Amino acid sequence: MRRAVVSLLFALAAFASHAQAVRVGSKADNEGALLGQIVLQVLRHEGIPVVDRTQLGPTSIVRRALVNGDLDVYPEYTGNAGFFFHRETDPAFRDPRRAYALAASLDLAANRLVWLAPAPADNHWAIGVRGDVARTARLATLDDFSRWVRAGARVKLAGSAEFVESDAALPAFQQAYGFTLRGDQLLVLAGGDTSATIKAAAEGISGVNASMVYSTDGAIAVTGLTVLDDPRHIEMVYQPAPVVREDVLRRYPAMRAPLEAAFRSLTVERLRRLNARTQIDGEDAGKVAADYLRQEKLLP
Amino acid sequence: MSRRLALPVVVLCTVGLLAALALPFAHVAPNRLLSGEARSPHAWMLALAWVMLAAASWERWPRGVSVACTAVFAVALPWLLANDASLWLATARATTRVQAGAGFWTMWLSAGLLLLDRLRAWRPAWRVTTWAAVAGVTVVSAGMGRFDDVAVVREFHAQHDAFVDALLIHLRLSASTLLIALVIGAPLGFQAWRARRAGGALVGVLAFLQTVPSLALFALLIGPFAWLARQWPALGALGFGGTGAAPAVFALVLYALLPVVRYTMTGLDAVPADTREAARGLGMTRWQLLARVQLPLGWPVLLAGLRIVAVQTIGLAAVAALIGAGGLGRFVFLGIGQGATDMVLLGTLAIIGLALAVDLLFQGLLAWTERRA
Repeated sequence: MRRAVVSLLFALAAFASHAQAVRVGSKADNEGALLGQIVLQVLRHEGIPVVDRTQLGPTSIVRRALVNGDLDVYPEYTGNAGFFFHRETDPAFRDPRRAYALAASLDLAANRLVWLAPAPADNHWAIGVRGDVARTARLATLDDFSRWVRAGARVKLAGSAEFVESDAALPAFQQAYGFTLRGDQLLVLAGGDTSATIKAAAEGISGVNASMVYSTDGAIAVTGLTVLDDPRHIEMVYQPAPVVREDVLRRYPAMRAPLEAAFRSLTVERLRRLNARTQIDGEDAGKVAADYLRQEKLLP
Repeated sequence: MSRRLALPVVVLCTVGLLAALALPFAHVAPNRLLSGEARSPHAWMLALAWVMLAAASWERWPRGVSVACTAVFAVALPWLLANDASLWLATARATTRVQAGAGFWTMWLSAGLLLLDRLRAWRPAWRVTTWAAVAGVTVVSAGMGRFDDVAVVREFHAQHDAFVDALLIHLRLSASTLLIALVIGAPLGFQAWRARRAGGALVGVLAFLQTVPSLALFALLIGPFAWLARQWPALGALGFGGTGAAPAVFALVLYALLPVVRYTMTGLDAVPADTREAARGLGMTRWQLLARVQLPLGWPVLLAGLRIVAVQTIGLAAVAALIGAGGLGRFVFLGIGQGATDMVLLGTLAIIGLALAVDLLFQGLLAWTERRA
C-alpha cells in the first residue's frame, strides 16, 4: 500500500513538471486546425514545452476553456471580441487597427488575456458569385451586386441559417447596400458550412449561382467564385491573432516575437492557399503548417 | 414463396440486384470538394453475380457453397472498385478522387448481411473463422496498398498518424466509461432493486439525464471542472480539466448509467422470488444468496446489457471530439466542416468497425460464460 502511494506521488511529481507546459488549443474547423498547428510548431521550435489541444471544439467551447484557465493560448479573430463583449455595433470593430486595439484592451482588463499582433488576413463573411455570372454581369463589389439584384436578375444565394438571419451577415449587407433577396432567391442550408454552400453555387444545384463565403476560404480558388468587395465595411474585421493568458506569457516571454512573425506573414491570398491544401487536397494541417513555416524561413 | 429459398436471401439478393442496376457504383470527382459524375461500369456483371448468389443459397446445395460464394463476393467487391479507381486515375489530374458510390456500399452491406444469415446454422468457431478470413484478406490487401486509389483510403493515408491516435483515444474513452459506469451503476442497480420506490426515482433521474443534449452538457461542465482543476493542481497536472477526457468521460458515464442500472435490476430478477425464498430457508445470508445464486444466474443478463452499453458508448464517444477529448469524432466534424464526405466516412466507418468488433467480443464472452454455467 505504502509503495503504491509513493509511486503515485512520483507520478504526480512527473506530471506536475509537465503541468508547466503551454496548452495550445484551436477551433475545430479547417482554418482553426491550421492556425493551431502554426502556434504549436512555433512554440515547439522555441523550445517551449507544449501540450497539443488543437481542434478542441467550436468557438463557444474553446473560448470558455481559455477564460477558465483550461487552455493557455489559441488563435481567435479580432471581430469575435465584439461578440464576447456585446459591442457588435461599435464602429471600432470595422477598422482593423482599432478592432485589434479594442479587443486587446477589453480582454486584458476583463480576463487577463493578451492579444498578440494579428495576421493581415481578414476572414469575414462575404458573398461570392459564380465566375461566369460575375464576368457577364460585371460584378466586383456589393454595390454592383445590389444594382444587379434590383434590376431583376436571376439570382439565387445559398447560405446557412445563421448567415441569412444573423444581424452581422446578410441582413446587414441588404440594409447597407439597399437590396432585398426574396425567399425564393435564397437556399438556406440549416447547419451548412461554407464548403456546402460554395459547392451548391459552383455546381449550380437548384439554380444556385451565389453563395456565402469566408474571405479566406480554400474552396474559392478551385470553384472559380468571385468574392464581392465590401467597400462600406459592413462586416467587422476578423483578423486571426494568438490570444495568450497573461501569466503564461510572463512565464515564457520568448513566445511573443516568433508567434507575431508567423502571423504577420499570413495574407488573405496565403491563407486561402493554405486552406485549399487542407480542404481541397485533404492534406494534414500539421504537414501544411510545417511546410509553410519552413518556406517562410520561420523554421529551419 | 417456396420453402426452398429463405426470406432473408430473397430480400438481400433483390436489394443487391437493384443496387447493381440502379445505384452508382463509383463517383469520379474533380477534387475533394466538388461532387463527381456517377459511373457503374459493371452493372450487368454484378447483377448476374447477385442472381448466382441467390442460386447458390438454394436449400438443396450444401451450406458451404453459398458461404464460400458470398465470402468471395464480399472480398472481391472492394478489389473491383480499387481496380476501376486505378484505371481512371491513370489518365486524370492529380486532384481527382474516385469515391465509392451508394451502389457499392449497398452491395457490400447486403453481402455482409447475407454472409451473416448463411453462417447462422454453423457452429460459433466456424463462424468466427469465416469472418476472420474475410476481414483478414481485406485488411491484408489494404495493407499491401491495393485500395490506395479509393478516396476513403486516401483520406486514411493523409491522416495516418492522427488516425491511429484517434482510434486509441476512442478506445480509451469508451473503456474507461464502461468501467466507471459498471463500478457505479451495478451497486446503484442493486440498491434500486432492493428498495423499489427509491429505485423508481433513481431510474427517473437517470432517464431525465438521457434527454440532455451532449453539447449542452459539455458546455455546462467546463466551468465546474476547470474550477476543480484549479482547486487541486495535482488533478490538473493529471490532465483533469474543463476540456479533454475528464468532462467527456463524465458525460458518457451519465448516459451509460441508465442501461447499466436497468440491466443490473433485470439480472437480479433473473432468479425467481420463490427460489430466493428457498435459498434463504436453507440458511443462506443475503450476501451468500447474492454471491452464489443471483450473480451466477444473473450474470449473462448483465453481460448482455453491457454489450449494448458498450456499443452505445462507442457511438456516443464521437461527440467527445467537440470538447477536445479527441477520438474518431474528430474526422467526422472536421470532414463536415471541410465538406469532405470521405473524411466523414473515414471516421464513421472506423466507429462502426470498432462497435462491431466490441460487439463480437461481448458475444464471445457471453457464449463462454453460458458454456461454463
